[in-house]
Formats: sequence, structure tokens, C-alpha cells
Amino acid sequence: MSLAIAARLARREMRGGLRGFRVLLGCIVLGVAAIAAVGTVRSSIAAGLASEGAALLGGDAEIELTYRFATQDERAWMQDNALRVSEVVDFRSLAVVPDGQRALTQVKSVDDAYPLLGTVTLDPPMPLGTALTGRDGLPGAVMDPTLMARLGLAAGDTFRLGSQDFALMAALVDEPDNATGGFSLGPRTLVHTGGLADSGLLAPGSLFSTLYRLDVAEDVDLATLQRAAEEDFAASGLSWSDARNGAPRVAQFVERLGAFLVLIGLSGLAVGGVGISAAVRAYLARKTPVIATLRTLGADQSTVRMVYFIQIGAIALLGLVLGVALGAGVPVLLAPLIEGRLPVPARFAFYPGPMIEAAIYGLLTALIFTLWPLARVGEVRAASLFRDGGTAERVLPPISTLILTALLVAVLITLAATFSGNLRLTLWTAGGIAGALILLTLAASGIRVLARLATPLARGRPALRWALAAIRGPGTSAGPVVLSLGLGLSVLAAVGQIDGTLRAAISQDLPERAPSYFFIDLQPDQMPGFMERLDSDTGVSRVQTAPMLRGVVTTINGRPAAEVAPGHWVIEGDRGVTYAATLPEGTVLTDGAWWPEDYDGPPQLSFAAEEAAEMGLKLGDTVTINILGRDITATLTSLREVDFSTAGIGFIMTINPAAVAGAPHSFIATVYAEEAAETAILRDISEAFPNVTGIAVRDAIDRVSGLLAGLASATAWGASATLLTGFLVLIGAAAADQGARVYEAAVLKTLGASRARILASLALRAGLLGAAAGIVALGAGILGGWAVSHFVMETPYRIIWPSALAIVAGGILVTLLAGLAFAWRPLAAKPARVLRARE
Amino acid sequence: MSAPILSLTDAALSLKANAGTVQILRAISLDVHKGETLGLIGPSGSGKSSLLMLMGGLERATGGRVMALGQDLGTLSEDALARLRRDNVGVVFQSFHLIPTMTALENVATPLELSGAPDAMERAQAQLEAVGLGKRAGHYPAQLSGGEQQRVALARATAPRPALLLADEPTGNLDSTTGAAIIDLLFDLRAQYGATLVLVTHDPALAARCDRVIALRDGQIDVSASSAVKDAI
Repeated sequence: MSLAIAARLARREMRGGLRGFRVLLGCIVLGVAAIAAVGTVRSSIAAGLASEGAALLGGDAEIELTYRFATQDERAWMQDNALRVSEVVDFRSLAVVPDGQRALTQVKSVDDAYPLLGTVTLDPPMPLGTALTGRDGLPGAVMDPTLMARLGLAAGDTFRLGSQDFALMAALVDEPDNATGGFSLGPRTLVHTGGLADSGLLAPGSLFSTLYRLDVAEDVDLATLQRAAEEDFAASGLSWSDARNGAPRVAQFVERLGAFLVLIGLSGLAVGGVGISAAVRAYLARKTPVIATLRTLGADQSTVRMVYFIQIGAIALLGLVLGVALGAGVPVLLAPLIEGRLPVPARFAFYPGPMIEAAIYGLLTALIFTLWPLARVGEVRAASLFRDGGTAERVLPPISTLILTALLVAVLITLAATFSGNLRLTLWTAGGIAGALILLTLAASGIRVLARLATPLARGRPALRWALAAIRGPGTSAGPVVLSLGLGLSVLAAVGQIDGTLRAAISQDLPERAPSYFFIDLQPDQMPGFMERLDSDTGVSRVQTAPMLRGVVTTINGRPAAEVAPGHWVIEGDRGVTYAATLPEGTVLTDGAWWPEDYDGPPQLSFAAEEAAEMGLKLGDTVTINILGRDITATLTSLREVDFSTAGIGFIMTINPAAVAGAPHSFIATVYAEEAAETAILRDISEAFPNVTGIAVRDAIDRVSGLLAGLASATAWGASATLLTGFLVLIGAAAADQGARVYEAAVLKTLGASRARILASLALRAGLLGAAAGIVALGAGILGGWAVSHFVMETPYRIIWPSALAIVAGGILVTLLAGLAFAWRPLAAKPARVLRARE
Repeated sequence: MSAPILSLTDAALSLKANAGTVQILRAISLDVHKGETLGLIGPSGSGKSSLLMLMGGLERATGGRVMALGQDLGTLSEDALARLRRDNVGVVFQSFHLIPTMTALENVATPLELSGAPDAMERAQAQLEAVGLGKRAGHYPAQLSGGEQQRVALARATAPRPALLLADEPTGNLDSTTGAAIIDLLFDLRAQYGATLVLVTHDPALAARCDRVIALRDGQIDVSASSAVKDAI
């Protein structure tokens, strides 16, 4: 084989321009552009977070402590190692206005040094220090405008936090370190810590975090400083962040969402692959006489294969360049628009990483989907020139092609896992795409069988029978249509069903089982009064209370917890710990035994069975929990069932009372009440116990539902790119099929068919295939929804009908649009000319 | 003599091509009577097939008038022409023109279904049996030989019992033995149903089987050649 000759022949063949390659080009451009765009946005946000890490964090470094302030030693260490230190306290509370209205707020109390970096923007404009000083003897506060609107407050009004009144001085327009806040249940209120002295909100045992921001000298190495802090205060439970990753939660969220969307983009490329494969097949079918002529003239198989590989490769490269340019260019061009809508900083630019990633994905996809049809080139014999159908097409390509394809798929999955940083998600996505492609291929075959079975029902309905014949007969487009449209619709259907199921579970099922309120920060001496108020209320059906401490699992069997159960959510940050002398009512032990009621020996621990199994814990293991700076090492003596799906009280860890005797703590309570009684309960409890914070479950559900809607929307946009590629493939299939349709229409006209009947037949076949693709996709979506309900939410599954019907209707609409866009030529065809051209 | 089933008066056909307008047929005038068999002969490019297309309303005359079954084809819409063919005209082509996505039975049943026949499938099956293909009813065109495909096409053309049968070189793509069998079948079916047949062919011997022969040359009726053929008969 001579590469030069092959290249020369390929160049001559391509003189005809891009005709026949438009769909191939479009599929590559779209698929690559979608991935490059997601990657560019992700990299831009990451760059924004990195460059403004210190500002987002509120300092060069941050030490977070839970439910306590820093000790004298810790403060001294910070003063020694930083130029400036600022102390911020973060907690939830209820903002109460004089007319009795109240709303949950996330309070940030600061010192005079705040903010170390950046500025707080207020409306009306004023220095933060002035605002927090207050007026008329009252400490000042600034508040998120949405909370002000909800409470009907304006600058100059007063409100209460705990038992302390504050003068609202201004609206809080912007705080520089807000991106680190993560998910919060209430809008922000900012006060001076000094103003909280008499509020009763920061009592021992209350739930609050302290954040110490450090401004360090330029030559200080942050990694070294972190190691020093963690070594000097190993058992303190401190959590370290620094400007190297100023908003870790945001960065992680953006990274994960971006990785997820890229994987969704890969499904778009897979759909594009179907189109690429179909386009290459159609192109090579048209070139059969040329290939046969080349073979007649003495070209060997490898030369002929190389001629077409070069042509397709050149088009694929053009597609990659255009796709990368489009995908990376659009976000950069739209940067001014996007930046305004993002809640985090972003630096839009051309980042080589995502561009290379998208190009590699596109290249591998193009290779995977063209190898198979290209292998057929070698099977074309010279005799094809003289005899049609001289060679029966093999079902499978040569084994070497299959092995090469499998290798390329393995490389693609490995790279996707590397780029996404999540092997599990990548494998699930790859498995999902492969499973969906197999399912859709089987479904396409099933549709052909159904069309055959349904043919007798079409007696006397010629248009329907022609449609069924076109669906089930030779040269049917059922495969490409169901594959290309089905995959995109499957993703959308799955998003619709899973999103609907989750939201139904959260907004409909949960309120039926969940309590009306959580009350936190109940002090032990407040419990009798609290219970008395609720016991006397006939609207209250149930009250659950439990003492609550917070602790960090530091070691398991003497080894760091992060080594024993890496990445498990229980060891990431602090968790609630309760104590109980006797087995709480309704608790089911799955293994081990509860400690005696008056037990005061070495600490014993009861652990949630499911989480223990996930972490590899077993009875007899020792677990060290740091509670308020003190290490308690307890032996695991029992495992319990804990059901979090009811949103009731559920502690992962319960310890025997003697182990935490004397430790300051508060109580948590859940109150189950009729809706009519809820307002009065919150009012009375917060009046009687100003330090206690009531969290309405309904509000929390609304926030979570809102977050889910945002995630579903982002995923749906990703899936839409897949659907758009699918539409392009459909257009390609319809265009490739047009010649056959024109011929068919000419014959039918010769036999006496009217144009209306031919149009009806074309519409019916498109609609039937679209409906079939929609129904198959819906099946996949329902399976996804059921799996999430059954395995994740553990709630009964019900089909989300609006989404289901929209998917099927969408399938019909899209195929009708693609099919009817190419109906004009068959309808307008002059039978004599069409038929004569075939003579 | 009965009234003509086909009557062409100064019929002309010109087509626009890249190089300009090409005159395909000029001033063709002829009558074809019910039950008659007419052979159309002439060299390649003489306009035989185009004339056949004019007769079947598959092509519109650009001059003159074409009357078929008492209707002026020039005044009929595309769909009206389709209805006329559905009810009265059967066409057989050199390249068969079966619909590849339909089985033999479905191809034959299609014109019957179009005319609303309630027993379309049964009649199609009977017609396939009449052409000797009863057992191949479920086969797709690609699974049939050329001769079999042409027999399916004959069955399709004759199944609705058309008054007019138009055959455009029906043996052109077949070997001589198969071609002869197809012609025998064509003439048998025509005789059986009493249809008028217009047959385009290159073969003078085949044309000689017709009641009358018209020769075409350069888009016009070649009177002398037509006579010669007739004399030979």
C-alpha cells in the first residue's frame, strides 16, 4: 500500500466538496463543542476561584472550630503566625420583628478586623464599622435584602436575635467571603460579636462555628503553616482552609457538576457517533462503484481503505477544530453575560485543558464509530460493478477491527475517568450509554417486529401499511432514528423522572412524615418549660427530644479515620452525637447489646448499622471522637437501624451518658403538629426562649427543592445538546433516505396514490418511529426514576406523567419535523422522470 | 370500430435541459382503440418511452392534446391523474420498479388498496398465483430474480383489471428465455382481461405480436417504418 497514492486518490475524491460529509461534520462539531464549552466554563470558574481564593476565604488562611471559641494557646499561635487575625462566628437563629413576624437567618458575627480582604457593600452606602456600631444604644446589624423584604424591614427599623434587639442599619448587598458559606437555610444577617453578648445565643452547647481568618506575610508557605497548625493542635478538631483553595465547597461542587455535565456531553458524542457511523456508511455506499472501479484497476484492500480513512480523517479533524473553537469561543464571547449570572468569580479565557479534552473525546469517538463501516470498504469486490448484491454483508467486521474498537473504547473510558476524576461515575455513565445503545438497538429490532405484526391491522389503510412496511422492511431507518433520538430522549426522560421523583418525595411525601419544626440550642434548664408548652397544645401530635453534642471522628482502631474510611461523609466534618442510658423507644438494634442503664465504665458507642457497614466498622472496634476539643475513645458495642428518610431525629452515634458527663451540650427537638398550630408554637417558643432557633421543615424543603430544580435544569441543558445532536442525525438520516422516498413516491403515484396519501404515509412513519423512540426513552427514564425511589429515597415510585408525556410528544414532534422537512421532494417528484432515471 | 381509448392530437413534449430545451416528441397524432394491442418501436432516444408516459399521464404534454378514457389529461391535476391511473391504467417498466420495502404480495396489493378494494390481499395473492409466484408472496424484491420481479410487476399492473396496459420494454432487463415467458404472460393476461395494450419494444418480432405497430424516429411517427413493420406482419 502506498500512502502517497492513497492520499492523492483521497484528495481527488474530495474535490466534490463536503457533500455527503455535512452530517458527519455537524455531529463532531456539536459533540466536541458541547464538551469544550462545559470544560471552558468549569476551568474559568476554577481560575476565578483560585485567583480570588484569599478574598473568597476572607483571609490567606482560615481555621474553623465547632461550638467553641479558640483557646488561649490557639489564639497565641495565630497571633504568632499571622500579621492580622479576624474572628467570625457563624450560626443560625431567628430574626424577630416587633410585630411578631420571624424568619430563619444565617448569622455572621464579626470583630473589628473583619473583613481582612475585600469590602462589604451596604445600601445605603456606609462603612461596615459604622453600621455595626448601631444607634440609640442598640448594636447595629445589616441584612440580606430578601430577608428584609420577607420581614417587611427597612433600614432604621429594629429586630431581635435571641434576646438582643438590633438596629437594622443597611441592606447587605455584597460580602466578599460569601462563596465559602455553601448551603445555608436562611439569608444572611451580619452583626458585631460584641453585640451578641446579651443575646444568649452563644451559650456553651449552642450550635455555632468560629472561623479565624489569618492574614500572613507574603513569604509564609501556607502548606507548611497548615502542617504546623494540624500538628500543634492535633486533637482540637480544627479544620484548615487557605487561599490555595479559597472556596473548597464551591470548587468541589463546580468540579463535580462540570464532570457530570461532561459525561452527559459524552452521551451527546455517542449519539453523534451513531450519526457519524450512518453518514460514513451512506457515503461509502454511494462510493461503491468508485471502490469497485479502484479494485478493478488493481487497488488492494488496504489502499482503498486508506483512501477513505484519509477523507474521513480530514473531515473529522476539521470537525474537531471547529468544535473546539466553537465550544471554547462561545463562553469567552458571552463572558460578560455569563459572569453577571454566576454567583462565583470566573475568569473566562481559552484554557488548553478542556480544549484538548474535548478534542481527544471527539477524535476517539470518530475513530470508534468509523472503523466498523470502514472495514466494509475492503469487502467491496470489483464484480460489484457488474452485479448488484454480489456479496452478502457480514454481520460483524473482521476480528482485528473489533479488537481495535474495544481498545479505543477502553482508552476513552480511561481518559474520561482521568479527566472527570471519578472512576465510579465514569463507569456508570459508560455502562449507561452502552446499555442504552444496546437497549435501543434491541428496541429498534422490536419495533420492526411490531410493525410486521401490526401489518394485518392496516388492511384497507394504505398509508398506514406503507408506513409499517417502511419501518419493518429492508433499508429501514428505524435503527438510526431510534438510536439517535432515543439516547438524547432517554437522558431527558431520566432527568425528568428522577427530578420529579425526588421533588415529589421531598415536597409531597416528606411533609407527611416529617416534623413541622426542628428546634435547636435548647438548654437543659429550658426543657421542662419547652415540653410544658407543647404538651398543653392539642395540635401537637408528637415531640421527640435528644441531647446533642457535636463531635469529629478522628481515629478508628488507633488509625486516622480518613485512612480507614476515606471519603465517607460521616468522617468529613463534625457529626451529631447523642447519649442515652436506655435504648430509645422505637430503636431497633441489629447487632450487639445496649449498655446497662447505670453503666459508668469505659466509653461505649452504638453506631448506625448501614454507615458502619460502609465504613467497615464492626463490634469491638474503637472509635475516637473529638467532642469540644476532648478526645473520647469508645468501644463499638451495638449497631442500630437509623432511618433518615423521615427527616426525624437520627443520630449516627450514641454514646453512654457517663462518657460525656459534664460536657456542655444542648438539646434538639422535633415537633409534629397540625399546620394550624405551627405559627403559634414557633411564636411562643421563641418568645419564651429567645436563644432557641426553630427551623420550619417546610422552608428547608423549599430550599432543597429549589437547589434540585437548578441541578435538574443544568442536566437538562446538557441533555438538550445530546438531543440536538440526535436531531442532526435524524436530519442526516432523512436526507440520506430522501432518494429512496422520492423513488417510492414516484412508484406510488404511478400506481395511483395521491400526494395527500403519500404525505400521510411519510408523516405516519416519522410519527410512529418518534413515538417508539419516545416510549423506549421513557422506559429508560422510568427505570431511572424507580431506581432512585427504591434505592436512594426508599419511597414508593409513581410515574411523573407530565414529563413522560412530554418526552413521547417530543419524540414524535422531532421526527415529524425531521421527516417532513424532506417530504417536499417526494411529493413534488414527477414519476416519469424519477423512474426513467432508474432505467 | 369502437371509440378510441387513447387519442393523441399533435401531442408534443419538450424538456428543459442544461444545454437548452430538448424536443422529445413532436406532433404525435394517433388513436388506440379498446382491446387493441399496439407496439411502439424505434431506435434509442426516438421517444417511445416518453410517448408511453404521455399516454399514462406520467408526463404532461407540452403541446397538443392527450385524451385517455375520455378525459383530457392536460386538464387534470396530479392527483386526478393518479386516480385515473389507479382505476384504469397498469404500467410495467423495464426495471420493474417494485417498492423495495414491501413484499411481493404488498406490492401487488398496493393499487388494489388505493382503490379501496376490501379484498386487496386476497386478490393480490390470487394474481401472484396467476403469474406463478404464489409461494413467493412474502419475499422482498431483493430476494427475487429479475424474471420473478417482472412477474410481480405484471401481477401488480394487472391485478386491478385495468382497461389500459402500458408496458415499457418489459423484457429489456431479462434474458431471452425469461423475456419470452414474460411476454407470453403479458399477452395472456391482456387477453384474459380484455385490456388495451401499448407495448414499447426494440424487438420487431415482439412488436409483430401486436395488432398494430407504430415506429418512432426523432420524436415523430415514422410512417414508412410503421408501414414496413405492418407489411412484415
